[in-house]
Amino acid sequence: MAKTDDTGNTKRGYTSRGITFPYSVNVSFPGHLEYIPAIRKFIAELLQVSNFNSKFAYRSEIIVDEICNNAVTYGCRNENSTIELSNTIFEDRIEFDIQDQGGTREDLKRLKRAINTKIEETPETTRQGGLGLEIVRTLSERLDVVIDEKNLTSVHVVRKREDERDESEAST
Amino acid sequence: MGSSVNIEIREVPRSDGVVILHFIGDLISDSVKQINECISGVIAKSKNYAIVDLSESNTISSAALGEFMGCRKRLVEKGGDLVFTGLKLEMRTKLNLMGATKIFRIHSDIRTAINAYKWDIERQPEKIHVSFPPFLKVVPPLRQLVSRIARQKGYGNRDSFRIETIVDEICNNAVEHGKSGPDEMIDLIVIIDPDKIEIDVRNMSDPEKIESLTAQLLPENSKHHKSKPDVKRGRGLTLIKMLSDELSVECTEQGTSVRVKKVREE
Repeated sequence: MAKTDDTGNTKRGYTSRGITFPYSVNVSFPGHLEYIPAIRKFIAELLQVSNFNSKFAYRSEIIVDEICNNAVTYGCRNENSTIELSNTIFEDRIEFDIQDQGGTREDLKRLKRAINTKIEETPETTRQGGLGLEIVRTLSERLDVVIDEKNLTSVHVVRKREDERDESEAST
Repeated sequence: MGSSVNIEIREVPRSDGVVILHFIGDLISDSVKQINECISGVIAKSKNYAIVDLSESNTISSAALGEFMGCRKRLVEKGGDLVFTGLKLEMRTKLNLMGATKIFRIHSDIRTAINAYKWDIERQPEKIHVSFPPFLKVVPPLRQLVSRIARQKGYGNRDSFRIETIVDEICNNAVEHGKSGPDEMIDLIVIIDPDKIEIDVRNMSDPEKIESLTAQLLPENSKHHKSKPDVKRGRGLTLIKMLSDELSVECTEQGTSVRVKKVREE
């Protein structure tokens, strides 16, 4: 098996290459909840090898978890549905795009309610829905949810490096 | 007899063997006969997988649970199962204390239970597709991803580790021998079922490197490493051959596709 260095990267002698920003990694997976832990860990590790620090990676992992959970729960009408997660990694930010195959009318109603509701407006007893998107909103710079005429939902999230310390930690 | 439970029976489209039994009301000892008759009806319709939805039940008596155990046994004998879904926390805790969670599989929702049927009984494969740029640094997270998915799907540690090694080798080869640049994406397609995993890595061929790759694929060159232990490179494909059950490589000027099949051992 190939030897690995301290960061877990494969040593291949002179052929070793760095990373050129921006780059995209697209993942398509079945719309089952059991895939999400592996996917969110993958994105966190991808960010760490792209020189983002572990705090940034962990918080991005939470975003991935929330948007994937929403897509599976509200956007997979049948058991053969798939989720498309596209990640574009820039030097200073990551952009997520997630698309599902459309949920039921009731699912979309709940999703729209969650998009339009701020957490402080939600009574304690009805906070079951919408908390995920609120967490994503808190952890990101931008969150756009688009529901098209075919009821397909796509979510776009932008998360930037937090501060200078973040960058200096990443470079060490 | 004062029966206190209503049972709604639903079939699942595209899954002939499955039936959803929605129990509305408390499952007390009086419900035993009803449960028995319901499962007998299910078996008579040639269904062998019952998803018992208890989202609208607050109590389950030990007699009712015992009846479910008997029914499960009958379904298992027919190659199916009886699983629970929609359990409230209190009932789940109670079943746990009674040791019933060691016998019954409990799913969070109906769709998850149907997915489990498709995986366990129909043995339907599931597909994961990742496209990534040709950067070596991306390979470790990728191999971990596939290994974690294999473990999540019930593959053992040894199988998962071998799968991880295979993914590492083929992805590294694709990066090394394919076209470079962030837009020259490599496709990793994983098709997994309970018995085997198939890994397909496709990349755009670099015309300058294609000769070295095709040379590696020649049978005499794969023996070459055994006779010359000082040769340090080009062992990847030999290693994949050792760890997998099938390996095929298609190498053209347009692109290279490496397909590996690994049968589950554990």
